[in-house]
Amino acid sequence: MTKPRWTLLGLGAFLVAMPALAVEPLPAGQLFRDVTGAAGINFRHRSAPEKKYIVESMAGGVALLDYDGDGLLDIYLVNSLTVDTATSPTTAPSALYRNLGDGRFVDVAVQAGVAYPGWGMGACVADVDGDGFQDIYVTALGPNRLYRNRGDGTFTEIGAASGVEAGGWSTGCGFADYDRDGDLDLFVSRYVKIDLASLPQFGRDKTCQFRGVAVQCGPRGLPGLPDLFFRNEGGGRFAEVGAKIGVADATGHYGLGIAWIDTDLDGWIDLFVANDAGPNFLYRNKHDGTFSEEAFPTGVAVSEDGAEQGCMGVAIGDYDNSGRPSIFVTNFAEEYNALYHNDGAYFTDVSFRSKTAASSLPYVGWGTAFFDYDNDGWLDIIVVNGHVYPQLDQARLGASAPYRQRKLLYRNRGDGTFDEVAAQLAPMLMEDRVSRGLAQGDFDLDGRLDLVINDLDGSAQLLHNELKATGNWLLAALPGPGSTRDVLGAIVTARSKGLAQTRNVRSGTSYISQDDMAQHFGLAAATTVDALEVRWPDGKRTLVRELPANRVIVVPAPVAAPAR
Amino acid sequence: MSLRVLYTALVIAAVASPGQSSVPAAPAPQGDEAALREAAAAGSVPALLEIAELRSRRGDLGGTAEPLRLALALAPNSERVLAAYAQTAMAARAPGQALLALEPLSRMYPSVAQYAYLLGVAWMQLGDPASAQPALERARELEPRRPLTLAALGIAHNQQKRFAEAKQVLEEAIALAPDDAEVLGVLAEAEEGLGDRAAAEAHAKSALERAPGQATGLLVLGLVRMQEQRYAEARQAFEGALARSPDTAKTHYQLSLACARLGDRQCAAREVERYQKAQRDVAANLVTLRTQSLENLQTGEPLP
Repeated sequence: MTKPRWTLLGLGAFLVAMPALAVEPLPAGQLFRDVTGAAGINFRHRSAPEKKYIVESMAGGVALLDYDGDGLLDIYLVNSLTVDTATSPTTAPSALYRNLGDGRFVDVAVQAGVAYPGWGMGACVADVDGDGFQDIYVTALGPNRLYRNRGDGTFTEIGAASGVEAGGWSTGCGFADYDRDGDLDLFVSRYVKIDLASLPQFGRDKTCQFRGVAVQCGPRGLPGLPDLFFRNEGGGRFAEVGAKIGVADATGHYGLGIAWIDTDLDGWIDLFVANDAGPNFLYRNKHDGTFSEEAFPTGVAVSEDGAEQGCMGVAIGDYDNSGRPSIFVTNFAEEYNALYHNDGAYFTDVSFRSKTAASSLPYVGWGTAFFDYDNDGWLDIIVVNGHVYPQLDQARLGASAPYRQRKLLYRNRGDGTFDEVAAQLAPMLMEDRVSRGLAQGDFDLDGRLDLVINDLDGSAQLLHNELKATGNWLLAALPGPGSTRDVLGAIVTARSKGLAQTRNVRSGTSYISQDDMAQHFGLAAATTVDALEVRWPDGKRTLVRELPANRVIVVPAPVAAPAR
Repeated sequence: MSLRVLYTALVIAAVASPGQSSVPAAPAPQGDEAALREAAAAGSVPALLEIAELRSRRGDLGGTAEPLRLALALAPNSERVLAAYAQTAMAARAPGQALLALEPLSRMYPSVAQYAYLLGVAWMQLGDPASAQPALERARELEPRRPLTLAALGIAHNQQKRFAEAKQVLEEAIALAPDDAEVLGVLAEAEEGLGDRAAAEAHAKSALERAPGQATGLLVLGLVRMQEQRYAEARQAFEGALARSPDTAKTHYQLSLACARLGDRQCAAREVERYQKAQRDVAANLVTLRTQSLENLQTGEPLP
């Protein structure tokens, strides 16, 4: 394992030594090693085995953050309750795994005060109060939690006090400074309106059957919930203004994954919401504090047939190095995962042309990410899968895979198409599991991106990237531990050997999860980055030239952050 | 593939299906009821089938239900009874009812290609190509050179987005029926799905040469033009397709995208509304097809 260098541009450098675990090397060409047990991660997500109710099938987010500011990536795994344990939140603790820096992690959730969020669903991360420490927002069935990081290894729950407690069934979340007033606002997607005291009876009617087999009811046939938008009013208070600014979804579509994305690169961040069993939303920022919903005209609402898909997770990435972020959406079985290519003002569904669609048809997709696993300068794609009906294994399956499902790994060929390579590169991805949340980050700062996966009613996985034949790399952290600079929405572009790669810093990604906010660039054979440009959320720019490869770069903000 | 085209295929299938032997002249309606009671009392299945057939010839499809049900109760495993029941239901556009006979028929007579084919068509009409596919594959095994079966299987693959599989069987169908514009259009659809723009355009044009205005060919041509960012031509192609097949949701949706890219927001919004209405209509139609009972049949083609 290499010993990466953290370099704070202009202010010197410091080293972080990362001892390697004493293990046999992977065979040549193999990508991941499952290091979950060796790393001390024994988290198990809880859910009722029969999944008689839809509330027991949708949870399992995961967030990556550096909660203690030591420069190492920590893991927050969200746990959830069941109908039987709904009033006993301590039966299923969530976990906060602190990265010890030697390949091992230790669960500090109880001491940190983040172990019992209730019936947890997903999580997103942001430095909400601008104190230099990342806070955690947890969505839930019931009140959501905002865990304010006190900077001493502990958190204080301030959801209700801040006005972001919400209620109902929240799923996706993400922070962004949508109105460019210098503070972070929060969007929360919500799913089905459900009353635990009066749950829809398992298998009761046609909407509770799948291919003739009785299953959980919903979401079709159940009322949906409007989404919520919490505008930061300053002073640690938020106001719910979804209806006022045009993102409330009054008709109650079944919202799941969300992504903040500046689709048209106008410097004002837009918002994509993946809806289950309905058209997606693309809220275009009108620069006046409001949004207009434009998913249909821009071409990201439905499939190319016009079919409403069961959309779950979202990944955003400039996979063709065009400088424009495209959208990848995971969907239900017998529907294809959709790749919407950003053409500028519009998107084109290139799913089949890109060769990412056909292989996805049997699977119910959830967590997903664009990530350059081999550092060749082109973003690849990972998708984790798993059905919602355990009863499916007794059903006539048709084209659908059974309840437990493999994962999909797509290698970017650099020409707009992908090869599905899980079987060749990572046999453990072929293991049938019921996965939900997924997040990517580099845990040991070796320049190769690792993955964390939260399984429904199963054990989490930490997959360590040990691919030998990889290119050079650069990891850009903005602006690094302890800074109060608002970085969400920042756009980072690395140019090397004629290739320009663009990344966006965002809160809330994948399926109700949070990727590492440090931005990774694969450089292939290039040993330097000719230019690294950061466009900060307030429009200011930082340009750094001639950066040597294979190191972590901390890019300082040009000016102090505005007061929150 | 619109439901209309499937109906066309269905009528062809019904005409070609077993049980179409010569039928005696229809008796007067007033004698019909008495004959029914007499046949039922005597437990005569042939007589009941004859009455059903006569009523069908009069266009009284709802009236076929009672003699068919009586016959089915007397001889639930009779091939002739089941085939008559299936045929009546299919001709009357009640595929949900037809399945009740076609499922046992195809199990009891696994070597009869027609039963497997009709089972597949019934599932297709019910909007379930995944269930249709194994039945159609069985029909293809039994009758590998029947273009109708190959075309239906290709459509089932296309609807499931299994474009490579669709292309393979549709090329076989084209080899057997090279001038079939419908099959050429569906093949073009598969090729467009596979990203083979040139082949898709060539086959779409071939379909249009043989059948000007053919909806699937125009749809594919529009999709190809969208990829080429020739949005005005795409719009023209989609509008042509809708002139021939006005209730196809996919075409309305694609037209809305073309209009949006041309800056015609009014057209884009209008076509989204039409697409959504078409979606609702298809969903409602599928519910009707699934729940249609023979007693309530008011429309449909009379039995041959």
